[in-house]
Amino acid sequence: MAALNPNIPAAVRESAADGTQLRYRLMEMAAGMDDIIALGRGDPDLPTPPHIVAAANQAMREQRTGLSPVKGLPQLRRAIANHLRRENGLSVSYDNVMVTTGGQEGLFLAVQAVINPGDDILVPDPRYSSYDDAIHRAGGKMVMVPTNREDAFNLEAEAVAAAITPAAKALLIVTPSNPTAGIVTEDRLRDIAKVAIQRNLIVIVDEIYGKIVYDPWRHFSIGSLPGMAERTITLDAFSKAYAMTGWRCGYAAAPQNVIEAMARIKQVTTGPVATVSQWAGLAAITGTQDCVEDYRQIYAKRRQVLLEGLDKMGFAYGEPRGGLFVWADCSSTGIHATELSYLLLKEARVLIFPGTAFGEKWREYVRITMLEPIEVLKEAIERMIPVVSRYRL
Amino acid sequence: MSAIKTLSRPLAERVAGLDRLTEWPSAEPDLPPHVIQAAMDALARGETHYTDRPGIPEFRQWVADDLGKAYGIQIAPEEVTITCGSTEARYVTLTLLAAPATQVLCLSDAAQIRGALHLAGAQPVDSIAAAKQISVLYLRPHDDRQALMTLLQQAETESWWLVWDMSLAVDRPDFHPAQNEKLASRVVTIDSLSRRMAGWRVGWMAGSEAALRLRARKQAMTICTTSVSQWAGLEWVRSGSQWPR
Repeated sequence: MAALNPNIPAAVRESAADGTQLRYRLMEMAAGMDDIIALGRGDPDLPTPPHIVAAANQAMREQRTGLSPVKGLPQLRRAIANHLRRENGLSVSYDNVMVTTGGQEGLFLAVQAVINPGDDILVPDPRYSSYDDAIHRAGGKMVMVPTNREDAFNLEAEAVAAAITPAAKALLIVTPSNPTAGIVTEDRLRDIAKVAIQRNLIVIVDEIYGKIVYDPWRHFSIGSLPGMAERTITLDAFSKAYAMTGWRCGYAAAPQNVIEAMARIKQVTTGPVATVSQWAGLAAITGTQDCVEDYRQIYAKRRQVLLEGLDKMGFAYGEPRGGLFVWADCSSTGIHATELSYLLLKEARVLIFPGTAFGEKWREYVRITMLEPIEVLKEAIERMIPVVSRYRL
Repeated sequence: MSAIKTLSRPLAERVAGLDRLTEWPSAEPDLPPHVIQAAMDALARGETHYTDRPGIPEFRQWVADDLGKAYGIQIAPEEVTITCGSTEARYVTLTLLAAPATQVLCLSDAAQIRGALHLAGAQPVDSIAAAKQISVLYLRPHDDRQALMTLLQQAETESWWLVWDMSLAVDRPDFHPAQNEKLASRVVTIDSLSRRMAGWRVGWMAGSEAALRLRARKQAMTICTTSVSQWAGLEWVRSGSQWPR
């Protein structure tokens, strides 16, 4: 694999070591270019379903937009608890639930609530690097747990056990995973739960893509397993499943003292979630779930188009079992992923993210979203193929 | 269903130093119909996705223009970040600028910043005499004017950051610390719509040479501020309703 090409603009090169900033630099470059197909960030292109928008409009018309409690509107917390009991099998009540300003804040609050300086937190590699800041700011240290393409980036209990250090306090699981689109299957989660109980680990699990899992796979919540309720913090948000990224509304479920701690932190960091977003969230979680299934079917078709395109380009991939991405191995090109992403942006006008944005060693991988209509995805592939061919080493 | 009460391991030690929850009053006067309409129009246009991470450009431009018109200070829209209320603006600013073990000088009640400083590992002090290692002056328009002016003069020769929090002011302050060119690059302005639109969670941080770092930290926290709230807030400020509050 070649080193990073010195002809890549300094703004991109200098950000290459910071995954989050690298993604922002590429997005900023793309924003200044015409006719870009953006397959970079994880913002669903589909609209927020009409019944959810209607509920927000009604709340606004009725002036129900005053400040909510820090933990969230009681009606929403109750509905989330009901949903988590029914759909995810979690043993939670109203007091185990709070509303957060999207999933990202949920992770920040959870880490602040449980991680002390000097604690280690086990993180599957590759990782969603936006979470790095939250862990670093709590004084925690990430310890990587390897996953691999041959295993579709499923997480192994043995790998978790092998990574445990004397300072390990928590394990972070993101399932389905961003960026790999792998899921941690039920059988693996059962084994991981045994390790967590034996070694007294807290599990922080981000399930934001849990409603977007492709057949025949199924999402499973580790917090539903015996002995896990008292050691699991489950995070989710309305952003992806209901196409509600701009509403900034998510939630956390955890033992009551964790929720109390997270709320105390939220009180001095961001305050309550925007009330109008909470009414929208309430409509999402209590209304028809047909929209979730309809969107999942749309993504499944797009995924197929994208995978066929990757086959044409000679990219390998682990089966994307959930989420909104494909995590593709571009090593057959011989080009560093950051350089390939830059070339595709510059010459194909297609924005994708290099694997290095999700872990330093992933210079042979790229993350591509399926968040454009099928015709646009097909055009993106047609644009990418000649560029990949031209530069393939 | 009874709630699971306790985590299997102790919480982080920082939690013990935070105040118990204080639920804020929720009653707010009705908003004018044109603000509600602007929010509904935004939703009808499909403004339901992430906004530009630092905030919608129109709102950032308004903040920059408003500070320029009112005080003659030059702030670019790129130096403005829309936040989830003044709470997030305060937290982001203070935790970025106040290094652990330093002090933040606050002339009046420090209750609003105590929690953020605790998380930053910094301490509030209320007088220069009590200070040993100041990193930030946290100043508000209602602070004692003479003491405030004395501090600003002293700041000219120090490396202190200045946070000018206008969010609790009822009338537009008659001066701004960034009008002093020697200080301008170290002044972060905080303001919000919280006195009138608290439930919408819209505030901002503006100016200073730390502006881009402040933006990055806000993005790491909450990615962006609620889209529909920003559009409602923009309509509110554009209609000239920002002052008096």
